[in-house]
Amino acid sequence: MQTNIPSTSAALTSLLGADFTTQWRNRRAVIMVILVPTIILISWKGLIDKFGGAFALSNCITIGLISIGLMGYSNAIARDRDKGVFQRLRVAPVSSWSIMASRLAVQLAMILVMTTVVFIAGSYYDKIVLSPSAYALSYVSAIVGGAVYLGLGQAIVGLIKNPETVNSTTRLVYFVFFMIGMFGELGVLGKEIGDAVKWSPYGTVKHILSSSMQPANWDMKATVALLVTIGYTIVFSIMGIKWFKWSTR
Amino acid sequence: MNNQLKESVLQVEGLNIYYGSFQAVRNVSLEVKAGEIFGLLGPNGAGKTSTLSAIEGLLKPQSGNISIAGYNIKEKPLYARANIGVQLQSTSFQPELTVSEIIRLYGGIYGVEMTIEKLEKMLTNIKLEDAASKRFGQLSGGQQQRVSLVIAMIHEPRLVLLDEPTTGLDPQSRRQLWERMEALRENNHGILLTTHSMEEAEAVCDRIAIIDHGQVITIDTPQALIESNRNKPEVISASRKGKITLEDVFIGLTGRAIRS
Repeated sequence: MQTNIPSTSAALTSLLGADFTTQWRNRRAVIMVILVPTIILISWKGLIDKFGGAFALSNCITIGLISIGLMGYSNAIARDRDKGVFQRLRVAPVSSWSIMASRLAVQLAMILVMTTVVFIAGSYYDKIVLSPSAYALSYVSAIVGGAVYLGLGQAIVGLIKNPETVNSTTRLVYFVFFMIGMFGELGVLGKEIGDAVKWSPYGTVKHILSSSMQPANWDMKATVALLVTIGYTIVFSIMGIKWFKWSTR
Repeated sequence: MNNQLKESVLQVEGLNIYYGSFQAVRNVSLEVKAGEIFGLLGPNGAGKTSTLSAIEGLLKPQSGNISIAGYNIKEKPLYARANIGVQLQSTSFQPELTVSEIIRLYGGIYGVEMTIEKLEKMLTNIKLEDAASKRFGQLSGGQQQRVSLVIAMIHEPRLVLLDEPTTGLDPQSRRQLWERMEALRENNHGILLTTHSMEEAEAVCDRIAIIDHGQVITIDTPQALIESNRNKPEVISASRKGKITLEDVFIGLTGRAIRS
């Protein structure tokens, strides 16, 4: 009797269909991820004259990226792992990387949607319009920056098994990044904290986004920030992959 | 057809599994033939789940060989997995997906072409034709089990692994599942069943292996197990109504102590 092994692309297509459907059915959470940076951007209208459009947009997109990586991705992985969804998939003739690639593709789409909404809101409410090359570069930077937080989310689900603990931990980390990152960037928390924030995952991601929005101003500091961002991604991903267990049992 | 002549759909030889220094499975060997329902019984912590996880490919044994439909699980893991259908103990599908979306997902993963007619037939077979657009999370426990079984069978696997499939089911649903298992046997599928219900094992299994402390302590037909052990003092002392049952044999062989 012949054994039928489906092609990787066919299996991946099925997985993507299911994962995008699941994401769509959880659209309240999706809306929250998009709403928070958009509301911040709209409420910062008064600061744009002082700090510039790139500053506002890059901060808001960074906050959106943190939500996607920490709140969206890690919680979905923790829940499905706890329910045995991954174990059921892994007993089928599908590679483990296909299962994860499909999950990451959904988050990649989320990054693009969130970035687009922030750009539209910036253009509509704050009249921030970038050049086409700046938009293109910013999308690339959003993906590179998003990878840091997806890696961090992966490290958290690797380290913590219980989905409720993952949920509370990611909220706490989100809050820390959000508050210290944003206020540190604004210089409200003093010079030392401000300097630390600049080289934190928040600061470097924000920096490459901001520099991408003004390609003419891309300098050595931006290149170093890009390298540090890639470094964070590699470290978090290695930790996340090394610690990750497919089952909580 | 004589079972001796039937081909083997699962061969486990000399399986050893350790968790750190603790040996959970000790030199386990067993064979399931096509058209056979094989029961794997044991108290909690006896090594059933570890053995099953190794067969499913979810756990790498330290030593031993596992072949499914002739495919070695180490050498040809995808081919081996393509020949297994698995029903896990816990719910294991995204609760947001509908029944038909889950069937389509696994149809795609197993390379099964899924037409509307085929999908409707599958749903009718498990009496869920009205629940096609219901989300998995909204189904009752029995309905979820039926979906899980249909997914386990979606690609007509040679070997079906059922991990305590009737836990939490009402008597009607349990009987229905037994009938489905018997229908699978008729169609020449091999079934490896784990259960804590001796009534179930006695009712449906052709052969049974009792595993304890990681070791297979006996393999035989339910009737032969009862016959060969009925005069053992520990089995007689386990008997409650004078008549020796499979449960008495099980308790006689594995002891009365409650396992964690």
